[in-house]
Amino acid sequence: MPNSRDYMARLGFDAQELSSRRHFFQLTDEDLARLAALRPFAERHNDAIIDAFYNELLLQHPESRLFFTDQAVFRRAVTAQKRYFLQLFSGVCDLDYMEDRLRVGTTHQRIGVAPKWYLGAYAHYLRLISSHLFREQGSSPDSELSNRSIQKIVFFDMSIAIETYIAAGVEAIQRHQSAIRELSTPVIQISERVLLLPLIGTIDTVRAQQVMEKMLARVVEAQARVIILDIAGVPVVDTRVANHLLQTTEAVRLLGATTILTGIRAQVAQTLVQLGVDLSTMHTCSSLQEGLEMALSMTGRAITTRGA
Amino acid sequence: MTVRVLSHQEMNIDNEDDVVLVRRAVRTLAEARGFDSFAVSALTTAATELSRNVWVHARKGKAFIEEVTDGDRTGIQVEFVDQGPGIPDIEWSMAGGHSTAKSLGLGLSGSKRLVDAFHIESEPGKGTRVRITKWKRF
Repeated sequence: MPNSRDYMARLGFDAQELSSRRHFFQLTDEDLARLAALRPFAERHNDAIIDAFYNELLLQHPESRLFFTDQAVFRRAVTAQKRYFLQLFSGVCDLDYMEDRLRVGTTHQRIGVAPKWYLGAYAHYLRLISSHLFREQGSSPDSELSNRSIQKIVFFDMSIAIETYIAAGVEAIQRHQSAIRELSTPVIQISERVLLLPLIGTIDTVRAQQVMEKMLARVVEAQARVIILDIAGVPVVDTRVANHLLQTTEAVRLLGATTILTGIRAQVAQTLVQLGVDLSTMHTCSSLQEGLEMALSMTGRAITTRGA
Repeated sequence: MTVRVLSHQEMNIDNEDDVVLVRRAVRTLAEARGFDSFAVSALTTAATELSRNVWVHARKGKAFIEEVTDGDRTGIQVEFVDQGPGIPDIEWSMAGGHSTAKSLGLGLSGSKRLVDAFHIESEPGKGTRVRITKWKRF
């Protein structure tokens, strides 16, 4: 789990966010004062509400029950829930409170409580609290206001938890994207002075730059004379990809090496001609095999049949 | 010649990945309708150029992908619409080799050569609308 302060900063949870969120949820100082005043009520009903929450709802639900693998886990969850419940009535809603709620959210997300179960359980939880409140204090303008304050802080909490779910999803996607980018730009050394760069997939702005940089670094490192760019795995070679190939060729030329473009499909060749792209500054071969032969001959080598 | 629309889909272009999604939708449709591989390559490349133009110049726009027929033949028509800066001099931009975005400047002229019909209208400050059509060969 990430350090929660860093995580707060990444999600943009700061004093300004806190105050604008509280404003939108209309969670005022009066609400917090009312919640603090309800603290004795909360302490009186804590056990009954949380026990009912676990026994009536969570343990009756096969998917929720799976989270409680043994008695110790179950007891820890109940204890944590009781502490959480009392915090609703602390009368405080500051950055520390937000951080604490964030931790609750990340815990749910980490152990794999799906948002639908989280929201459904919370709705039930809220009903339990309300029914205990009205049973004890009767229906009056005062208890209505108390109930409303409880609703506000509960929804405030949920908004934070939901954001941790979303942030976790977004982060997973970013991790995967960077992993894919890493994977898809291998620079392979074929022989002493020959490098092969098989381009695969869509070359977007970030990748084009990465490919170029990685490639140039390797050219210098390996003192390469010939670089084979294979585009058989690129689905569409448009003017942008062509421009990228031309720029790479030019940069490679400045380093004293030569580029050979291979893997040009017939369809791609025709499309490039119609687009009006001029690749005459590059050596080209239709297949990688021909490209390899050309590269080896440029570096004074050849593939021969043994014994021939 | 009246062109009838057989199917219609609408896609947003809001980020660079959408360029890929539009291209994939066009490719999938062209392949499903039995376009030959050269036509598929030409059409998807043109669609990539034009949706990238939307992203690069306007940052936001739409692509309308339609299957059309004129009674004799079927085709695919794609329209790209944005409310971006527009093209001040269409003739200059269509001539090829000119770019306002550090590219080869062949996107518009090249796309026109890749398809059977190409229609462009643009007004500076208002946006651009480009429609391309590729007919299926027998």
